[in-house]
Amino acid sequence: MDSHIKKVYVPMTETGFYILLCLREEAHGYSIVQRVEAMTDGAVRLSPGTMYGSLSKMEKDGLIRFVREEDKRKLYVITELGQQVLDLEMKRIERLYRNMMEARGGESEEKTDVEGDKKQSE
Amino acid sequence: MWKVTKSRVNKMKDRMKKTELRFFTIPEWKKEEKYLQEKHREGWRFTGVTLPGFYHFERCEPEDVVYQLDYNQEGTAHKTEYIQMFQDCGWEYILDFVGYSYFRKPVSAMGGEETEEIFCDDDSRIDMMKRVFRGRMVPLIVIFFCIIIPQLFVQSHNEGIVSMVLTGAFVVLFVLYLFLFIWYGWQFRQYRNLLKK
Repeated sequence: MDSHIKKVYVPMTETGFYILLCLREEAHGYSIVQRVEAMTDGAVRLSPGTMYGSLSKMEKDGLIRFVREEDKRKLYVITELGQQVLDLEMKRIERLYRNMMEARGGESEEKTDVEGDKKQSE
Repeated sequence: MWKVTKSRVNKMKDRMKKTELRFFTIPEWKKEEKYLQEKHREGWRFTGVTLPGFYHFERCEPEDVVYQLDYNQEGTAHKTEYIQMFQDCGWEYILDFVGYSYFRKPVSAMGGEETEEIFCDDDSRIDMMKRVFRGRMVPLIVIFFCIIIPQLFVQSHNEGIVSMVLTGAFVVLFVLYLFLFIWYGWQFRQYRNLLKK
């Protein structure tokens, strides 16, 4: 993976992440929009301008490739490079999650300390 | 008798349609979107735009409709799929004008609490800004460096009345372009800063 790809895609936007996640199976832009909306209970609603821009950018950078056209909609699928980027990103998010849970676990004990520190520093 | 009826019909038609002259500079697409939304709220549906800046409207029920501009040469080159994606997401495609594509969607058709836009993150908003810059500013910069500056240099070294007039003309163009670059550059920066907040 060259440095340009790393610089642009790691860390990735939420849109980019969901696109790659969905394109492990072939799909077109609008079906990604629908699937992401269902996956996040409507919290993440991807917009067409963002979707179109991201798909063409990712295709140009070789993260996804065009498969075929169906009812005026282009179907894409992830490439080897795209999978590598997705793996990197998943590792990063896993680490983020792990650290967040650790912080959460220690929160109840630390809370009183932190508040005490705050008062001292004020 | 027939004439009277005809003129009355025309008058009615006139009241159903109107045209306004407005100028929006290259970085001002956000302002243009707001303008079109405001017009629709007043009961004027946008039907078209022609050079140098005539905006055409027809009477309609006042409604809150979000207007959005995209600038995507890739999209205009693959128009059917491009428009299809917007339509799938509930955006009506209106027209293309100097590289921009115009879309609209009524607020009543938006499910969530927030008003939708055609971009959902700042990365893609900045990408659009970059596309506008490449598509519309770079040609101006090329003209500036490949025509105006060399011509200014050549003409100012020639003698005679024609060269003097041409020198004057290129000085005016030089100043005008410089002014535009500074102004547009500042507006692009403003927009970028707005997004970064």
